Amino acid sequence: MTESGTRVSGMTFLGASDRGRRRGQIVQRHGWTVGVWLLFASLLAWYASRLDAFGPYERTAILTTAVAAVFVAMGQGVVILGGGIDLGLGSMVILVNCVSAKYMDGHGFVPCVLIALLVTLAAMMLGGAIGWVIHRSGVPDIIVTLATSFTLFGLALFILPSPGGGTSPSFAHLVTGSETGEVYWPAILCLVVPFAGVWLPMRRRRTVLSIYAAGSNANAAFLSGVNLRRTKIASYALGSCFAALAGLATTAVTGGGEPRFSTASAFTLNAVAAAVLGGVALTGGIGGMIGPIGAALALSLLSPILTNLQLSFTWMDSNMAEIVKGLILIVVVMIGGWARARKQKVV
Amino acid sequence: MMTPRITSSPNPGLSVTTPLLETVAVAKRYGSVVALRSANLTVGPGEIHALLGANGAGKSTLVKVLTGVIRPSEGEVRVNGETVVLRDPVDAQRRGLAPVFQDPALVPDLTVVDNLRLTGADPEAVRHWLSEMDLRAIDLTDFVRDIPLPLLRMLDLARAASREPAVLLLDEITAALPIDLADRVIEVMRRWRASNRSVLFISHRLAEVRDVCDIATVLRDGCDVDRFRTEDGGEARMVRAMLGDAAGVVRNVSRSASDKVTSSNRPDETTIAEEVLAVSDLRVGKLDGISFSARRGEVLGVAALEGQGQDLLFEVLSGGRRPSSGELRIHGVPLIARHPADAIRCGVVLVPSDRLHALLPQRSVRENLALPFFRRVRSWGPVRRRSETDAVDGAIARLSIDTRAQSQVKRLSGGNQQKVTIGRWLATGFDVLLCFDPTRGIDVGTKHQIYDLVRELAAAGKTVIFFTSELREIAQCCDRAVVIYEGKITEEIDAAEATEERLLNAAHGLVAVPPESVCP
Repeated sequence: MTESGTRVSGMTFLGASDRGRRRGQIVQRHGWTVGVWLLFASLLAWYASRLDAFGPYERTAILTTAVAAVFVAMGQGVVILGGGIDLGLGSMVILVNCVSAKYMDGHGFVPCVLIALLVTLAAMMLGGAIGWVIHRSGVPDIIVTLATSFTLFGLALFILPSPGGGTSPSFAHLVTGSETGEVYWPAILCLVVPFAGVWLPMRRRRTVLSIYAAGSNANAAFLSGVNLRRTKIASYALGSCFAALAGLATTAVTGGGEPRFSTASAFTLNAVAAAVLGGVALTGGIGGMIGPIGAALALSLLSPILTNLQLSFTWMDSNMAEIVKGLILIVVVMIGGWARARKQKVV
Repeated sequence: MMTPRITSSPNPGLSVTTPLLETVAVAKRYGSVVALRSANLTVGPGEIHALLGANGAGKSTLVKVLTGVIRPSEGEVRVNGETVVLRDPVDAQRRGLAPVFQDPALVPDLTVVDNLRLTGADPEAVRHWLSEMDLRAIDLTDFVRDIPLPLLRMLDLARAASREPAVLLLDEITAALPIDLADRVIEVMRRWRASNRSVLFISHRLAEVRDVCDIATVLRDGCDVDRFRTEDGGEARMVRAMLGDAAGVVRNVSRSASDKVTSSNRPDETTIAEEVLAVSDLRVGKLDGISFSARRGEVLGVAALEGQGQDLLFEVLSGGRRPSSGELRIHGVPLIARHPADAIRCGVVLVPSDRLHALLPQRSVRENLALPFFRRVRSWGPVRRRSETDAVDGAIARLSIDTRAQSQVKRLSGGNQQKVTIGRWLATGFDVLLCFDPTRGIDVGTKHQIYDLVRELAAAGKTVIFFTSELREIAQCCDRAVVIYEGKITEEIDAAEATEERLLNAAHGLVAVPPESVCP
């Protein structure tokens, strides 16, 4: 009855730390991200080759349409990393768009910036509240945020029932650069600043590490002392912060607010697709921000490319373009899933 | 071994020094299920204290209470004589209780350094403890998911030690550790004692408990039933306390089962039973030409060090992976399985070591047992309640599964979960049962029940392939054994000759006779 049995084991795993393995890991970790950016580069090159000219004006057009999509993708990326998903992110974009357009109308640059700050803060608080509800209720993220997607959109309609509002031209130039669209560097700055100014400094902080941890293995995170409620709130607040930036960018680019539900759901869907294509695992915990940014840029090229193709192929009307776009999204996400499954098998 | 403080107080229960950690009549109930009835535990300074108990006795629950994971329904926890409420794991750590859990509490998708940063542990202190344990080779910038499980436990221990807690709580830390790493854990425990701090140690390996621990508290059915110095009584007293009245019963059952084995079931030299499973020249990954066969009514043991390809072998046998070359025959018919369902159809079923992998943790025992039963339903109509109930009741009775937690399998103890995993195949029938380390982390009583069950199945004409990391189980429960080393079979021996020494030699590739001449 005694338990003196010998547990046996080899110790071969201790010597495994060699250079080849490390190089393999780097390829494994970053290969996907590089691939996504290569996809964007090749799409861009192809699109540019189909245009008559590819000057500053075209660059500004591409970048300004992409800015909002990139922000939402980053927001969705944060939420998914934390093990959640926010289907209300698109509605949050529209809500911020409508609120900011309504109150910025007729004001100068400084009040517009103040309004932008206030609206972003309010959006973060709203997002945090949504995170709290999810944690408190125990209802799956997808259900709660499906409900909030309607609530937030309703709120947007309530505040701005019909398209309208406006913003200060100088505020708009923060994204669009100039009236004529020849200056494209502000749009690039818009893409870089939230990444370098918000995400990178936070990446190694406890808040973001907690988000990764909660998404990776909530139980291990809890046992490590992560406050799961605070983390849920933080991930949704951060997601909504990026959504608010997207809403402000939309106001700046379009010069007004437009409450349209199809825009909101398109934002949501594209953001999920960009996050997944960008290497963020839907199960949470795996991925970064550079991938989703590249993926959002690539996906935002789809619409102009399809419009451009309509010139060559007569069957490709705008309805067909929508179908094609949806199919491409599905295929893209499937490829991502396969690649991950393969990678795990090989290991 | 003993610290002066302990020796000076003749009865540890009446020690005059303030205990570092104390629980008074702690109870925990989940609805109607009582996980812990009334547990009293006193851990004095400078002692290594063992917490023992059979599966379901309440050890894990008590540890969860002590680490702030759950709050007790009743009773008090005292740290340094002061009554405290442990709100969460961080709170428990702040009060000097640092746990190492059964499953490493490290987040897989973060690097080790990020994990340390997350918990506010000092990477330098952790590195110090790693080098104390002679594990400098661990790269802290690696992702946790890329690090093998035994090393993760060591990392978890180093992290806990780096906080310099007054009490280290080690829950089954040595269960999945190779012997050399387990020794290093014990070294750390002794140091804790030497600095007049304490360790609460939970282990199923009683010999280890006897050698390492000073005092043992035994839980049974949610109550503390015995508390003694490990030197007075030793393993026999531990087992008696853990099993209570059931001890005699278990011993009888096991004897009768082994009688059966010797009288009727061990395959006679003269009668050669039908060959059920034949593997020839199997190659995939690390496996390099594996050939063996198993007969009807035979328990074939598989012994190997960690990472010799045995997991791949079981994956192939159970249909989870296709071999690159080689052949697998069931009853002489080649089996090409694309999916475990194909193997199950041919009567080959798997009991994996990770029990929660095989079960639906949130569903009831009944549903789990009936799960593979559904494939037998021929019509599209509802499942025939009657036949399902009969089969499931039969399985529950046969396994003596503790059905207190009828509602959800995840609330069962590890041993009972393992029984459900085996039981669901009992309810549906099979020819070949593949057991991959089925007794890992399971208490003595349940282990014996599992051996008996395996022998019974063999007596009923089933074939069992039994991998175990505990070498003595080969002699206890198998008829024959193959030893795998570096993806090859290095030895094939009769259980009667399978001494631990011989198995261990073969497992390290130290065999005088070339394997070809050993195979029949």
